Parts: sequence; C-alpha cells; structure tokens
Amino acid sequence: MQTERIVKECLKGNEGAWQMLVNNYSRRIFSLAYQFSGTREEAEDMTQEIFLKLHNSLKKFDFDRNFDAWLLTLARNHLIDEYRRTKWEKKSRDEFDEYSLKETTEISPEDAVMREQTKKRVWEGFNHLSADIRLAIILRDIQGKKYEEVAEIMALPLGTIKSRVNRGRIQLAKVLREQKEKENGM
Amino acid sequence: MECKLIENLLSSYLEDELTAKDRLAVEEHLKSCADCSVLFDLLRDTQESLANFPQAEMSEGLLERLYDIPYRRRKFRLSLDFLVRPALQPYMAAATILLTVMSFYLFHPEKSAIDKSINRQVHMGYGKIGKLYSEAETFTTSLGEHKDNILDTIKRKQPFGRNGE
Repeated sequence: MQTERIVKECLKGNEGAWQMLVNNYSRRIFSLAYQFSGTREEAEDMTQEIFLKLHNSLKKFDFDRNFDAWLLTLARNHLIDEYRRTKWEKKSRDEFDEYSLKETTEISPEDAVMREQTKKRVWEGFNHLSADIRLAIILRDIQGKKYEEVAEIMALPLGTIKSRVNRGRIQLAKVLREQKEKENGM
Repeated sequence: MECKLIENLLSSYLEDELTAKDRLAVEEHLKSCADCSVLFDLLRDTQESLANFPQAEMSEGLLERLYDIPYRRRKFRLSLDFLVRPALQPYMAAATILLTVMSFYLFHPEKSAIDKSINRQVHMGYGKIGKLYSEAETFTTSLGEHKDNILDTIKRKQPFGRNGE
C-alpha cells in the first residue's frame, strides 16, 4: 500500500494501517535516534516520543509533501529540542562493539580490526559535533540521503548543508588524527 | 592555496564535485602538504566508516509500544469521557461560577482591603451571635424565676374552660 493511502487509513482510525506505518518507519527513526544520541535507552524513548508526535500530527500532514521528508523533519525537530534540553553532548555513548554489524565484504582480519577501530573512534567522535552538524552527517553519510533531501529535512539552504557536512567530516577526521597521535605517543 | 581553504574543498573533492580548476589546485596542494594529505586520508576513512555504520536493532518491546499508541490514546480519551456527561453539567457550571468568583477575589488589586472588610463582618457576626446567646440566657433565667407565678396564674384562670362546665 502507498504511504499516502496508509496515512489516510490511519486518519480513519484503522489500527492495521498504523501498524504498517510503524513497520515501515520505526527502524529508520530508531536508527536515526540511536546514531544521534548514542545510547539505546535514549533512542527507545525518543522513538516512542517521535511516534506519539506523529500520531498527534498526522491530521496536519499536507498530502502534497513527501511523507518521508515530513516525518524526518518532525524527528529532527524532536531530536534537536531534546539535545538542547538535556545536553546530550556531555553524556557518554554506548560501547560501539556491542551493536556493530559483522563485515559483509571479504577482507583480511587485520583490515577488519582496523576498520572496526576506525568505526569505534568515529562513533565516539560524534560527541564532538554540534547537534545540527551531527544530524547532517547522519542523514548524508550514514543514511545515504542526497544533499537536497538533507536540506529539505533540515529546512536549510543546500549550501549550508554542504558546508556543515564538510565541517563535520573534517572535525571527525581531526578527532581520528588526535586519537591516533595519542596512541602513538606523539 | 592555504590549508584552511583546501580543508573547505576536501569533501567536494572526495565526492568529485569540484570544477577542474579547483580539483587541480587541491591535488597540487595534497602533493606538497603532508598535513593536509594525512587529513584527506582520514576524511576518506571517516566517510567509509560512516557508510558502513551499524544499524542497531530495536527491541520487540518498543515495537509493541509503538503499535499500542492509538489504543493507549483512545483509552486515555475514554477515561476522561465522564467529564463531559450531561448529568455532570450543572455541577460543572456551578464549579465554573465558583472558580470565576474565586479568581475575581484572589486576583483583585485590593484583595487586602476585601480581606479586612470580610474579617470585620465576620467579627461583627460573632459579636451579634454572642449577644443573642446572652439575651437568650437572661430570658431563660427570668422564666425560671417566674415559673411558679406563671403556673399559679394559669391554674387560677383555667384557660381551657373547666370552671364553665
């Protein structure tokens, strides 16, 4: 069923349609919240609150708009509000290894260890990024969205988004450099 | 070009979005600047890592809670439905009037003057009640003192007409 039809059915009170909407979007929203906050507990709370807001706001949805972008904008607003309210950047993130996926490509064990190490550092480096930059990086580099889509979700001009993504990547690369230098005793 | 300017172009270079002129400038700089070259390698590693980032699986419990959202909201609405029952409307209206009057009193700019006036009226009321009590006591006492005389007078007069039979 198309998303617009599912939304219309939800508005009629069809619980089956609501379950379809949850099935289609909950993993994406949970991943976004998890990558943003860094802890499962926070991510579960945030996901629940975002879906509660979604249920309350469904009647305001403009059917001329793209539902995915609309929902992600709603999620983005909630995540950034919560970030400002609770100062997430001061909190520690979950251990990266705990939830990492296994490598799917054939690589040597040494390379696999190196990749895991880099991922771990990048994961921890997220706490060095501001909320807006962090979210832009998640949407663009982790979720693989186009710059135009990120700009629509973040309600910012394309140039600003490109500049934020670049700044975020550079910041993360510098964090990696510092950590490597520390480990090498420089 | 300076390192700072190159830094701003590295992402676009990585994504092959630069003009031929800028691309050449970045490549020339990376060949001659070890720091920027290291930073570029790390930038590439970072982007590769991000592209393969783990997708955490959500718990079954969370999925159930998300499914339940419309049901919980309806249950909450039903639990508040009793407030709009017609039978409660007179009480609701009375409570509204009471609250309105209370709010006039509580937020009146001369609330202290009103308080004083109410206190005075209450004290005067107490005084009047006390006076009534004392008058009633005096009356009861004098009635007790004259009880015998009154009973004698009643017997002599025979108000119920027994003498006239």
